[in-house]
Amino acid sequence: MILTLFMAFVVQLTFAQQRTISGTVTDENGLPLLGATVVISGSSTGTSTDFDGNYKINANTGDVLSFSYVGYQGQNITVGTSNTVNVTLQLDNTLDEVVVTALGIKRNKKALGYAQQGVGGDDIADVKSTNIMDALSGEVSGLDIQSYNQMGGSANIVVRGYSSLMGNNQALIVVDGTPIVNETGSTTDQKTGRGGYSYGNGAIDVNPDDVADVSVLKGAAATALYGSRASNGVILITTKKGKDTSGGIGISFNSSHMIGTADKETLPKYQKGYGAGYGPYYDGPGKRWNIDHPNYDATNPSENLTVLTGEDASYGPAFDPNLNVYQWFNLIPEWGNYNQTSPYVAPNSTANDFLKASTTFINSLSFGKSNDKTTFRAGYTNMKQEGILPNSEINRNTFTFNGSQKFGDKLTVYGSITYTKTEGLGRYGTGYDGRNPFQSFRQWWQVNVDILQQKAAFDQTGKNYSWNMYGPGYSNPLQPHYFDNPYWDRYRNYSTDDRNRYFGNASLDYAFTDELNLFGRWAYDSYNEVQEERIDIGAVDVAEYRMRNNIVSEMNYDLILSYQKDLNDKLNLDALVGWSLRVQKWDRFSGVTNGGLNFPGIFNFDNSANFLTPEDTYNYDATKKVDGLYARASFGYDNTYYLEGTFRTDRSSALPKANNRYNYPSISGTIIFSKLIDVEWLNFGKVRANYAQVGNDLDPYNVFRTYGIGAGFDGNALASNPNTLNNIDLKAETTTEQEIGMEIQLFDSRFGFDVSLYNRTTKDLLTPLDVSNSSGFSSIWLNGGSVENKGIEVFVNATPIRKDDFTWDVKVNFAKNKSKVLSLAEGLDFLQQASVQGGVTIGATVGEPYGVIRGRDFIYHENGGREIYTVDDAPSSSWVGVYKRTSASNHVIGDINPDWTGGVKNVFKYKNFDLSFLIDIQKGGDVFSLDTWYGYATGIYDFTVGTNDLGNPIRNSLADGGGVILDGVNADGSKNTTRARTDLYTNPWGYARTPNAAHVYDASFVKLRELKLGYSLPERLLKFSPFHRLSVALIGRNLWIIHKNTPYTDPESGLSSGNVQGYQSGAYPSVKEIGLNLKVEF
Amino acid sequence: MIKKKILILFAVSLLFSGCSNEDYEELNRDPNYPTQVSAEQLFTSATKSLFDQIESTNVNQNVFRLFAQYWTETTYVDEANYDLTNRRIPENHWSELYRDVLFDLADAKTIATANGNENSTKEGQISILEVYAWQILVDTFGDVPYNEALKGKEIKSPKYDNAATIYTDLIARLNNALSMLGTGENLGDSDIIYKSDVNKWKKFGNSLKLKLGARLTDVNLALATTTITEAVNAGVFTSSDDDAKISYEGSTPNTNPIWIALVQSGRNDFIPANTITDHMNTLNDPRRPMYFKQNLGVGVYTGGIYGKQSSFSSHTHIGELLHDPTYKGVLLDYVEVKFNLAEAVEQGIAVGGTAKEHYTDAINTSMTDWGVSATDAATYLASTTVDYDTAAGTWKEKIGMQYWLAMYNRGFEGWYVYRKFDAPTFNTAFGSGFPVPKRYTYPTNEQSLNEANWETASTAIGGDEQQSKIFWDVN
Repeated sequence: MILTLFMAFVVQLTFAQQRTISGTVTDENGLPLLGATVVISGSSTGTSTDFDGNYKINANTGDVLSFSYVGYQGQNITVGTSNTVNVTLQLDNTLDEVVVTALGIKRNKKALGYAQQGVGGDDIADVKSTNIMDALSGEVSGLDIQSYNQMGGSANIVVRGYSSLMGNNQALIVVDGTPIVNETGSTTDQKTGRGGYSYGNGAIDVNPDDVADVSVLKGAAATALYGSRASNGVILITTKKGKDTSGGIGISFNSSHMIGTADKETLPKYQKGYGAGYGPYYDGPGKRWNIDHPNYDATNPSENLTVLTGEDASYGPAFDPNLNVYQWFNLIPEWGNYNQTSPYVAPNSTANDFLKASTTFINSLSFGKSNDKTTFRAGYTNMKQEGILPNSEINRNTFTFNGSQKFGDKLTVYGSITYTKTEGLGRYGTGYDGRNPFQSFRQWWQVNVDILQQKAAFDQTGKNYSWNMYGPGYSNPLQPHYFDNPYWDRYRNYSTDDRNRYFGNASLDYAFTDELNLFGRWAYDSYNEVQEERIDIGAVDVAEYRMRNNIVSEMNYDLILSYQKDLNDKLNLDALVGWSLRVQKWDRFSGVTNGGLNFPGIFNFDNSANFLTPEDTYNYDATKKVDGLYARASFGYDNTYYLEGTFRTDRSSALPKANNRYNYPSISGTIIFSKLIDVEWLNFGKVRANYAQVGNDLDPYNVFRTYGIGAGFDGNALASNPNTLNNIDLKAETTTEQEIGMEIQLFDSRFGFDVSLYNRTTKDLLTPLDVSNSSGFSSIWLNGGSVENKGIEVFVNATPIRKDDFTWDVKVNFAKNKSKVLSLAEGLDFLQQASVQGGVTIGATVGEPYGVIRGRDFIYHENGGREIYTVDDAPSSSWVGVYKRTSASNHVIGDINPDWTGGVKNVFKYKNFDLSFLIDIQKGGDVFSLDTWYGYATGIYDFTVGTNDLGNPIRNSLADGGGVILDGVNADGSKNTTRARTDLYTNPWGYARTPNAAHVYDASFVKLRELKLGYSLPERLLKFSPFHRLSVALIGRNLWIIHKNTPYTDPESGLSSGNVQGYQSGAYPSVKEIGLNLKVEF
Repeated sequence: MIKKKILILFAVSLLFSGCSNEDYEELNRDPNYPTQVSAEQLFTSATKSLFDQIESTNVNQNVFRLFAQYWTETTYVDEANYDLTNRRIPENHWSELYRDVLFDLADAKTIATANGNENSTKEGQISILEVYAWQILVDTFGDVPYNEALKGKEIKSPKYDNAATIYTDLIARLNNALSMLGTGENLGDSDIIYKSDVNKWKKFGNSLKLKLGARLTDVNLALATTTITEAVNAGVFTSSDDDAKISYEGSTPNTNPIWIALVQSGRNDFIPANTITDHMNTLNDPRRPMYFKQNLGVGVYTGGIYGKQSSFSSHTHIGELLHDPTYKGVLLDYVEVKFNLAEAVEQGIAVGGTAKEHYTDAINTSMTDWGVSATDAATYLASTTVDYDTAAGTWKEKIGMQYWLAMYNRGFEGWYVYRKFDAPTFNTAFGSGFPVPKRYTYPTNEQSLNEANWETASTAIGGDEQQSKIFWDVN
């Protein structure tokens, strides 16, 4: 397939009349080949041969017909004068499908004893996503990609489940042999929902337009040669190279424009009946008003009332068009309606109207050539994206160049460089923080607020006039109370960032003989990024300027000596020995002003109100070196049996001296049984098995104890012990994996599957384990236990229809992974992953899957019903009619791990049209929502109004027939008939009265992830144009969430990549993107 | 030939990376932070952490001013309604004391006593502060990890010890610490409380001993009696000059933590509770203008209904003094000592003086400390509702009321008074209807990280509930 795609580029421009060409395709023995593919290069026109090997196709003179068949070498034939073209294909022992494996070693896929799955460059680049990793979502079985709906935010990349637990679980990403630094740079606060921005993960700098193909190595055996970091799987990216451009001049241009809008199913649905307040706690009619306005007259108590602007909930009075009251916008002196009252009605625009359409423009231009000696390609891509929040933008420019040159027969020199400059403005604040507008929009909000009036207030005055101003009666009535005007926040409290990144490599390949080869490579990746975050004077929060400067680099040196020899007719040997050195450097500084700013709008450290202290700055300088020696030997026998063994030994500077070396072996075997069984319908069949061990180390500075420096007090220096205890007794952790797999292609390769079963156990987990704080530490670095991941991965391909001008291809991915904590370090019962707001813990104890959510649960009656407090057993009257909850918080209430994930991709080709769509599926997995935890209490959602079984508004007091009867049982098991009051924030739905379990949701989803409808200009039209190739496509991403169970939100909308998943706070909506893509080649 | 070339290449490459294990180890030492520090530096840090935790009114850290019903909350009333789990308040209190106070003190002690320098004044000073922190832990939770605590990776899940047994041991530790004061080196200026004034430390140690003894009067009068009499005989605080306090500084992070919550945050989360304004209004207490602002009019003090959502503007605000970033932080004061002595007299313990004398001194000192004029103080003391002879109720009610009033801004002690003296009358929390907790529930992460020991301890104290009493709280 890849071969035919490649052939499609090699096309010649000629002029001719279209006519029918026919012929027969046979193998080297003259037997007809059934189902061989015949494609006109450079078009999507194609057909396949019938039982007798015959085909028919409409073509022009000069067209290049490309013939291919699995297991055979392809052949190209230019249509001449004859109407008959017969072809004999040669059995291919060498080419087949060549795939890239560890260390960039190219291998014949059929010989591999481990799971490998490829993705073509078009699958990534056709439907644009700004993070290349998003484009892999759903394409590869067992590769779990999650992103969080934040502009430019990070993507979580996990292969075969979480095995390292507290450490890094992200797959290693390698571009043309260069390992890419894929750190997120997100703070712990950001990852645990305590605020902060997500600046994306390092791999975001890989430009999708430059990618030729991707190879995913999942198991330990596949990755063992990479050493330490390969224990989480490897994603190998091969970029486009210059190619033979006979027929064109080698320039290609690609442009796409996408427009995105928030998916309404992932936004709150607000009630339209009641305004600001928490309940009947205040003054005026119904005790739901502010009566402190100077115009208020106690003799007319229903006039000149003021909305409770200072409260951030919607349990206030009912809207009433005949009631004129002072609202926040009537309190602004600059406005015409100042000091006038206005009708108290639901607004025209809700908080959802804060969002605008996002736009993404991606333009790329490249030029490449190749001949026998020289190959080069140069490319430039500009990506400009505006997010759905006001004042948000990312601009990324990527320059790339690669080239190779042969000197004589023996020496080849290769070099590449990619420079990426990313500039971001107004990234989205995340989590439980004022910089995240969705903290307010989903949790603390007044539905009486017209968001566009907030915009007008900011646009016209430039001031922070918030819907949440204190209001009359306060010394500072116009100051925001808990929340800023969201527009003021977006424009005045914005972040900026700038990243300059270089990566690439230089290598030499020297062939001593045909059999012996020496390869040396220097791969580099470095970036310098500056992140600036601001809070201006006048905000609710103390004004601040925060700056981070990260200089990160990684150099990898490899020297590989390889030897290939046919030992006899049937037995061949493929072996290598190698040495590598990795040098990683980090130089980080971050600082924040202390105690506010002196001058508004000035953001630098000079403007700090107080001196900076050790609590305001952070310095981190580290170097880590890992050197390794490795060897591999692979035997192939008769192109049928393969056996491969590898061994690697590493030494890491981050481990204690006594334990700094660790070794890992792997062995894998393959039998291509289709060679042994002669059945017509079986095109290819193979079984494989492997066993491997991979070691892993940790980050620097976790071995020796150092003290923290505190801010000086009263002339004294302060030192304190760190919260995490380092450990001199650490040793490398080890992942052991066994895998078996089978790969089958049937019926002319129209149906096939690839299935893998694996069992991976990681022991001596290097983990800063959370411990009882009474030990004197919050966590201790330990070899903390072992965890098992077992799973199955299935990849199915099928071609239900293959007609002359119509084909339908289906690819299905399925993966199921089950994790289990097998043991923990002595003296420990629980592995705590995160402890988050709401009183919820994520972690596991022995025997549980990693990532269990714990908190307060319902109390269940033995008949299964949820027990409800009655007048007789409620602790006080305000608990009557609500669910009982456990007093302990260690009840298991959810599991973040999905039951399974999958993807289905359909590709239809009709003449020059192609239609493809990708359905991405997750079944199971739970998420705890802080958004509903708080938001259900503040009465902003639609279900908090309406009528009850009596036909009365549920927001009436119980005395007036309001309230609801929850589905539950009494202590004696009988059905609940007690009504709970729902006229205030301590309703039976929100945090004040529910167990955590009520806010755990099933995170299953079915999504239409990608859609493409493309059209390629046919040859007959192209010939009148200056183009060598031209195609246009309608493209879409995340267009439809077909199924989900999380209310008002996207189940994927977590916080950041990393190990803390299953938690939502201030979630961003999913963005439906639709656009056009134009591809032109000259 | 080829082989040779290759061998040379590999040899060169190994040389290139030819780092020894020692070089590698050196890379793993963080150059930015010290590996060796002094006992003094740790002591200052621990002291500062202890003061900050005791003074704080951050709803994530310390809600004792609410528990003592001095204050209530305006909009977010969860903590005033005794919701401890949502914000993990017990966890934060616990970890501050164990991790940031007690472990650093233990480490300081290890450094101070190295090379045979045992039993010095340094060690005594450190030990006294340790006892203080342990007592706070026990009084908050009941049984807590003690003997097995602070052992780092040796014991990751420490067993809990019986609260009463811990108390007995704390008294012994205090005696031992007091015996060291005056010998060998002291901590010098790193002691930000007394600048290592040995006499003051002796008084502090004995006043703390008195405090421990006073806790025990209802459960172990014999031990209480010996402890209190020994302390008094050795010399407790004799005036406010002896108070264990520090002066905070003007800029963060060295300001009084109350300033952060009340001023810097720009929020209006707290107002005085009706519990205290009602009691003080009844008594016509002259400290009201200092405790509160007269924002509703001169002499008008209306606290928010405890636990109910309250409009900030229509209620009395917290006094101006507490809005000063440099306002003092206090661990133990003369007022407290005097009330403890008054109680001791009533318990029949020979501490000299009469209950009335101690009671009157305590109130007078509180008045002076808060800046009340001598005349106003005298008028107050002379009123029939305050005068010890004429005030209504049992001695517990009389002392309890005035002790509680005087402990304003010392939420933890105010809560103690309520628990110990069962006076004055408090309100049930308006929103939840819950009564005043008798203790903090254990940190939620103990339930998972130290589950077996947590379960044992919970059973031992009669359930990990807010209403399980601390051992000294018998009524």
